[in-house]
Amino acid sequence: MGILERAAQRAEAAELYDELREGVAVHFHGGEIEAAGSEAIRGRALRVIASGKLGFASTAGGSDEALVKSALAAAAHGDPAPFAFAASQDGKAVPVLDPQVSAITVENLIAWGEEAVRAIRDEFPDLVVNASLARGTADVSVRTTAGGERRERRSYVSMSLDAEHIREGDIWAVYAGRSVRRVADLDRAALLDEMLRYLRWGREIATPPAGTPPILFAPSGFPVLLLPLMVGSSGLSVFLGTSPLKGRLGEAAFDPRLSITDVGTLPFGPRSRTFDDEGLSTGRLPLVEGGVLRNFYYDLRAAALAKAEPTGNGMKGGPMGTGGFRVPPGPASRNIVVTPGEGSLDDLIAEMKDGLIVVGTLGLGQGNIQSGAFSNNVGVGFAVKGGKVVGRVKNTMIAGNAYEVLKDGIRAIGATPEWVFGGLHVPPVLAQGVSVVVR
Amino acid sequence: MEEKLREAVAKSRADYTEARWEQVTRSRVMFQRDQLLALESGEEQGGIVRCLVKGAWGIAVFTDPSDLPRKVEEATRLAHTASGHVADPVELAPVEPVEAHHAGEMQRDPRGVPLEEKRRLAQRYNEMILGHAPEIVSTSVRYTDAWRRAIYANSEGAYVEQGVPDVTLMLAAVARKNGDIQQGFESMGWAAGFEAVQGKEEEALKAAKRAVDLLSAKPVKGGHYTVILDPDLAGVFIHEAFGHICEADFLLKNEPMRKVMRVGTRFGVQSLNVVDDGYIPGARGNSPYDDEGVPRRKAYLIKNGILSGLMHSRATAHKTKMEPTGNARAVSWEHEPIVRMRNTYIEPGKSSLDEMLAGIEHGLYACAAFGGQTMFEQFTFSAAYGHEISNGRIGPMVRDVVLTGNVFQTLNNIETIGQDFKLEGSSGGCGKGGQWPLPTTTGAPHVRIRDVTVGGR
Repeated sequence: MGILERAAQRAEAAELYDELREGVAVHFHGGEIEAAGSEAIRGRALRVIASGKLGFASTAGGSDEALVKSALAAAAHGDPAPFAFAASQDGKAVPVLDPQVSAITVENLIAWGEEAVRAIRDEFPDLVVNASLARGTADVSVRTTAGGERRERRSYVSMSLDAEHIREGDIWAVYAGRSVRRVADLDRAALLDEMLRYLRWGREIATPPAGTPPILFAPSGFPVLLLPLMVGSSGLSVFLGTSPLKGRLGEAAFDPRLSITDVGTLPFGPRSRTFDDEGLSTGRLPLVEGGVLRNFYYDLRAAALAKAEPTGNGMKGGPMGTGGFRVPPGPASRNIVVTPGEGSLDDLIAEMKDGLIVVGTLGLGQGNIQSGAFSNNVGVGFAVKGGKVVGRVKNTMIAGNAYEVLKDGIRAIGATPEWVFGGLHVPPVLAQGVSVVVR
Repeated sequence: MEEKLREAVAKSRADYTEARWEQVTRSRVMFQRDQLLALESGEEQGGIVRCLVKGAWGIAVFTDPSDLPRKVEEATRLAHTASGHVADPVELAPVEPVEAHHAGEMQRDPRGVPLEEKRRLAQRYNEMILGHAPEIVSTSVRYTDAWRRAIYANSEGAYVEQGVPDVTLMLAAVARKNGDIQQGFESMGWAAGFEAVQGKEEEALKAAKRAVDLLSAKPVKGGHYTVILDPDLAGVFIHEAFGHICEADFLLKNEPMRKVMRVGTRFGVQSLNVVDDGYIPGARGNSPYDDEGVPRRKAYLIKNGILSGLMHSRATAHKTKMEPTGNARAVSWEHEPIVRMRNTYIEPGKSSLDEMLAGIEHGLYACAAFGGQTMFEQFTFSAAYGHEISNGRIGPMVRDVVLTGNVFQTLNNIETIGQDFKLEGSSGGCGKGGQWPLPTTTGAPHVRIRDVTVGGR
């Protein structure tokens, strides 16, 4: 007897999430390979609705019976489930599997890592270079007693580089990474170019203007402004009243040039998938269109509570989370795509004249993120003078309110988006109204 | 599984082999506002094999116990592949193999506490916060417990079996007035049983009151201040800003930084002592034996203001010709051990808070931590709230307090160390190298530091 049938004998409804992750990874430390590893991890999670109440349990390696018993025990003391599990759904399959990924060998990963290390060291022999490369697949299925039955295999390839400049009293590090689903999308040359560009810019140390100079957020710096909005667009935050966006759908809450879409169906997008972790088809959800707040995203529960339509955003793990079988699904974004504007990074640098480029920050997501307030140390940033990069900055902090900057502080949105933080496809943005404190 | 583990590592053809098998039982209750968002339990088991071949590691992670012998071969093969590319081979400092059993101490085993009782406890705290004031619009109350039973064997004959309890409680309030949203929270964790999370009503009220108070607090003005860190924040500071660079793996392939972090170098005032300790009864960062089977050692990082030691795994100890300290920890069976902190704290000094306040004309009292992050010597951490200090007195509350700076300069700028002391295991955990959240404890007295950069508008 299958686990769903077993659960159905003692509960009105059940949902089984099953995941098998298999892959290999290599790690370079100080320019050298240090370890090669493999993983084969299977985990399962069961949600039940028994006597109208919701229960959840998860396991790796445990028996079917134990999992059913744990979920029922949780339901016995749970609250009424405001929603039903997904029924059978039609949906076009989103391409998320590249069969060639499995053909990548550990030797390939080592060779790619060595190649990148060599290229960085040729130009910067004194840097400590670390790298991680991985490839693998996840087999995910979601089945429900309501007839929902989804399964797919998703592939991934990832590569990250980290170069550290270390001198007494002067240490800094540049990081760049990509996580993609298709071998062809892993542009190792572009990744390396990005690293080398920042390393070259950082040969000199410079002081940025203090006060409120123009700030150019590189794609990897843009999340400082985006993260509060991603959290605030969660239908659950809105329902609970912790989002400042509550009650503002349809309002021109942002700069008219700003459009942000949450997309699950982008072919081979890093967080793309045919169905979410509750078995609902993913789709395309405009969050902000031409500055107007359009939608919030929901999982089944938040949608039921808020009397809204679920959007296929039921994901294991939080807004920036990577998920896993252990946690129940909650509302989280898929790929966040910011519509590009005009102008290359160089154009924007020329336009800003005197200012600060923010490539990476420390303390991202700390602080009172709900309110939009941010205050971050600029880990990787560059001073611009007369439209030219003059060097990297040290001991520099930026502070402001993301909602205010996205409404009144945008000067230009660039034309050249990049994938950052796994699932954000964002262009550079030139902003004002951010204060800069330099030591 | 014990016999299988011993047999598998003994049979391995790699230069060195270790295997760890874990069984974890956990539960979680979470409320937000009036919603029960989680009431759940989980059980999992999984293992990891690590082999050393000609100075390179091979690692295999798995969940099917019958895979163990195959995984030893797989890890050996991976190590062999990697070893062809190694110029600076990994070697392990010698340790006496131990045969040890350690049962975690607790009064009330959470596995025996009905989910219903856990729910009632969290619900009570949640209702206290929600009912505290009309400005409170939401909450986040989270209870977690986990029992981790790990068995470990290596090819040198070590065998360790230990049980590690972990309970946490997060009590957070969200207050809203007009468009403004503020949070107050108390975050707690212990290596103990259910008894540790009971009776925290006062903390719930503190969180609620703080959220409301922050609504009328002004954002701090950015600039440079003499700052007094409260024990919570001072503990986070020493962990984030200093602890991480004392993790010796960071120095392993890093000649320039090794020169900076030379034992014997003065880093601060005479009264500054910093410790990483593997065992304090009930402390969340406890690790009686690490995940390389090495017994704990109390590591003095700074003694009388002078760098006196680092935290080590066997590999970093070999490289730096030091003794292993028992700091090789893995967050779970999915990961290999890396150098991590345990219970890290600043020892108390001699000054009272009043003495520390005296003479500060215009300063800042920074309290509790939202979080912290470091990039080597650069650190940033967010205080949950602060107060102005003027003419030696603690004044009105301020918010959005973010401190940043260079750790070496900041340690040097420590002026006085308080006589009080607080040890805090948070409900979160430490993250490093993709391994998160590892239970750790931070501790400190009040600490006064001059010339600290505070971000703000």
